Amino acid sequence: MATFFEQLINGLTIGSFYALVALGYSMVYGVMKLINFAHGDLFALGSYLGYTLLVASSSWVTVHFGLWGGMAVAMLFAFIGIGLAGVLMERIAYRPVYPAGRLSLVVSALGMSIFLQNAVMAIWGSRPQAYPAAVVPSTRFSLLGLPVTSLQVVILLLSFTLMLLIWFIVEKTTFGAAIRATALDRSTATLMGIDVRVVIFFIFALGPALGGIAGVMNGMYYRAISFNMGWTYGLKAFTATILGGIGNIPGAMIGGLLLGLMESLFAGYVSGAWKDVFVFVILIAVLLWRPTGLLGEKTAEKV
Amino acid sequence: MRKTVSVLLVCMLAAVLFLSGCAKKTGDTGPIQIALQAPITGDYAYEGQMAKQSVEVAAELINKAGGVLGRQIEITVVDDGSNPKDSAIAAQKAVSMKVVAVIGSYGSSVTEPAIDIYEKNKMVAVGYGCTALRLTVDKQRTYFFRTCGRDDAQGLFFAKYAVETMKAKRIAIMHDNSTFAKGVAEEAKKALQPYLDAKQTEIVYYDAITPGEKDFSAAVTKLRNTTPDVWYFTGYYPEGGLVIRQARDAGLTCPFIGGNAAINDDFVKIAGLDVAAGALMTQEPLVTDVTTTIAGQFRDLYQQKFSTIPSSPWPVYAADALYAIVGAIGKANSTDADAIATAMHTNMTGVEGVTGPTLFTSQGDRKDVPYKMYEVAADGKLVVYKP
Repeated sequence: MATFFEQLINGLTIGSFYALVALGYSMVYGVMKLINFAHGDLFALGSYLGYTLLVASSSWVTVHFGLWGGMAVAMLFAFIGIGLAGVLMERIAYRPVYPAGRLSLVVSALGMSIFLQNAVMAIWGSRPQAYPAAVVPSTRFSLLGLPVTSLQVVILLLSFTLMLLIWFIVEKTTFGAAIRATALDRSTATLMGIDVRVVIFFIFALGPALGGIAGVMNGMYYRAISFNMGWTYGLKAFTATILGGIGNIPGAMIGGLLLGLMESLFAGYVSGAWKDVFVFVILIAVLLWRPTGLLGEKTAEKV
Repeated sequence: MRKTVSVLLVCMLAAVLFLSGCAKKTGDTGPIQIALQAPITGDYAYEGQMAKQSVEVAAELINKAGGVLGRQIEITVVDDGSNPKDSAIAAQKAVSMKVVAVIGSYGSSVTEPAIDIYEKNKMVAVGYGCTALRLTVDKQRTYFFRTCGRDDAQGLFFAKYAVETMKAKRIAIMHDNSTFAKGVAEEAKKALQPYLDAKQTEIVYYDAITPGEKDFSAAVTKLRNTTPDVWYFTGYYPEGGLVIRQARDAGLTCPFIGGNAAINDDFVKIAGLDVAAGALMTQEPLVTDVTTTIAGQFRDLYQQKFSTIPSSPWPVYAADALYAIVGAIGKANSTDADAIATAMHTNMTGVEGVTGPTLFTSQGDRKDVPYKMYEVAADGKLVVYKP
C-alpha cells in the first residue's frame, strides 16, 4: 500500500508539470483557437533562463537570497522573461498571419517551435546542462511514512496555488468575464466594449509565463535540462488538454494530473515500455466516448 | 569546393589506377601493401587520426620483428571522410591499388557500403570500430572480419560478471527501447539464461524507460521494490544520469552498472558527483589498461612517436586488425585473399594482437572480445574498477 501512495505522489508531481504547461496551451487555444506548438519550447526556454540566472557569477542569486529565495527569484525571472517572449512571439509570428486563416497560424506556430528549439541549442549548446546541486533545496523527510523532498512538496503546493489562481481570475473576476466573452465570440465581445487586444496580450503573457515557472521547477526537480525537452512536455501537455477538453481551464488541470497519474501507475504496476501506448489508448477511448474531452461538455464555457 | 574535391579525387583515382597498373603492383617480392580505410577527415576525424597512428605504430613493431614471409609491411591510408558516400570511393581506391588487405573502418554505417565493394572484389577487410550486428549476422560474407566486439558481446560480459564475480542473485535490467540499448539488454538476458536454468540467479526486473523524458520515478519505485543485487542500465547517458539520481533518491542502494553509452562527463554532471561516484560501466578497455606484452611495446612506441596514447578503445582495434591480417598471411604462407580469409576463419591459434588473441567466428566476428569494468572515481574520472 505504501508503494501505491508513493506512485500516487510520483504521478501527482509529474502531473502538476503537465497541468501547468497544459493550462497555457488551453488558455491560448480557448481565446485564439490556435494550437500553439511553440508552447513547449517556451517552457524549455524558461528552464534555461532560470538555469542561467542561478549559475550566473558563481550562484550570486542563491548566495544572496538563500536556496528558497534564489528559487523564487529564478521563477520570477522566468515568469517575466517568458511572459515577454510570449507577447513578442504573438507580435512577430502570429499577428501578421491572423488574416491568412488558422492553417497559416498553425504553420507559423510550428516554425516558431523549430526556431526556439534551435535558438536554445545555439545559445546553450546541444549537450544537456544541469542545475548545480548547490542551488537546489533538497531536504528529505518522511510525510505520513512516504519519502518526499521539501522541493517536491513546494512544487506541488505552488502548482496547485497557481492553478487555483488562474481558475479564480478566469471564473470570478470581471476581466475573466471579458476573457470568456472573447473566447465565446470575438466580434460580439468587441461590440460589447471589450478591448480584445488587451485580452490577447494578457493571454499570451500569462499562458507562456506559467510554462516558464514550470520550466524552472522542472529544472530544479530533475536537475538536467536539454534544448529539446520542450517537445516531450509540449506533446504531453497537448494530450492533457485534449483529455480534459481543449480550451477548458479545469479540464487542462484535471487532464494533466490524470495523465501523470496514469503514466506513473501503469509504469509502476504493469510496464514502463508500454506506458505511452497505454496512455494514448486511453486518450483514444476517451475521445470516442466523449469527443470533446472529459470536461468538454457544451455547458462548460471554453476559455 | 565540393566540385573541386571531386575533380581532384577523380584525378587522383586515375593517377592511382595508372600507377598501380604499371609500377606499384604487389608482387611476390618487396613490401606487402595493406590499406587503412579510416575517417581522416569529417566528424570522426579525431578517431581516424588516432587509428592511423596506431596502425603505423603496429606496422613499425611488426617490421622491426622481421615482418612476415620475410617481407616488410607498408601501410597506405585511404580517407572515408566519416560518411558512407566517401567510404565507397575510398574502398574503390583501395581496390584499385590492389592492396593485399584492408583495415577499416570506424562507424557501422560508414563501413557498410565499403564492405560490399571489398566483398565483390575478393579483398579481405577487417573493421575496427563498427559494432552493429547487421554487418555480419546472416550476411554470409567471406572476406569481412572485425576486431571490435559486437553490440551483444557487452551483454555477455555483463552476465558473466554479475553472476560469477559479483555473485548477484537478483538482477535488474533496464533499457530505453532504442535499437542499441534494447539489443544489449536482450543479449544480456540471453546470456543469463544458463545461470537462470541452473537457478544461480534470477531476473527480477526487465523493463524500459522512455528516452527524452525526465521523470522515471515510477520505474525506479518499481525497480526498488524488486530489491535487486545489481542493476544494469544499457541506455544513453542523459537518461542514465537522471535515472540513477532518482533511484538513489527513492532509496535504491544496489550497484549501478551502465552500458558503454551510459557513462561520460555529462552523466556525472547530470547525476551529480555524490551520486555518480561508484557507478560502474561495461566498456572496451583503453590501451592503458591492457596487460599483454604487445600492449606494453605498443604503448611505449606510441608514446615515443606521438607523446601521447590513444584516448579511446577503438584505434587499438585497428592495430589489432593489422596483427590479425599479418598473422593470417603468415599462417596461410601466401598473400592470396582466399588463403588469408580461410586462415582467419580457421587457423588463427597463437596469433596475438594488442588486446589479446585474434580469433574469428565463421561470420567474421571476433571471439572473446575483451571487456572491462570501469568505475566513476571519487573525482568523476573513469578508472578500471578494482573491487
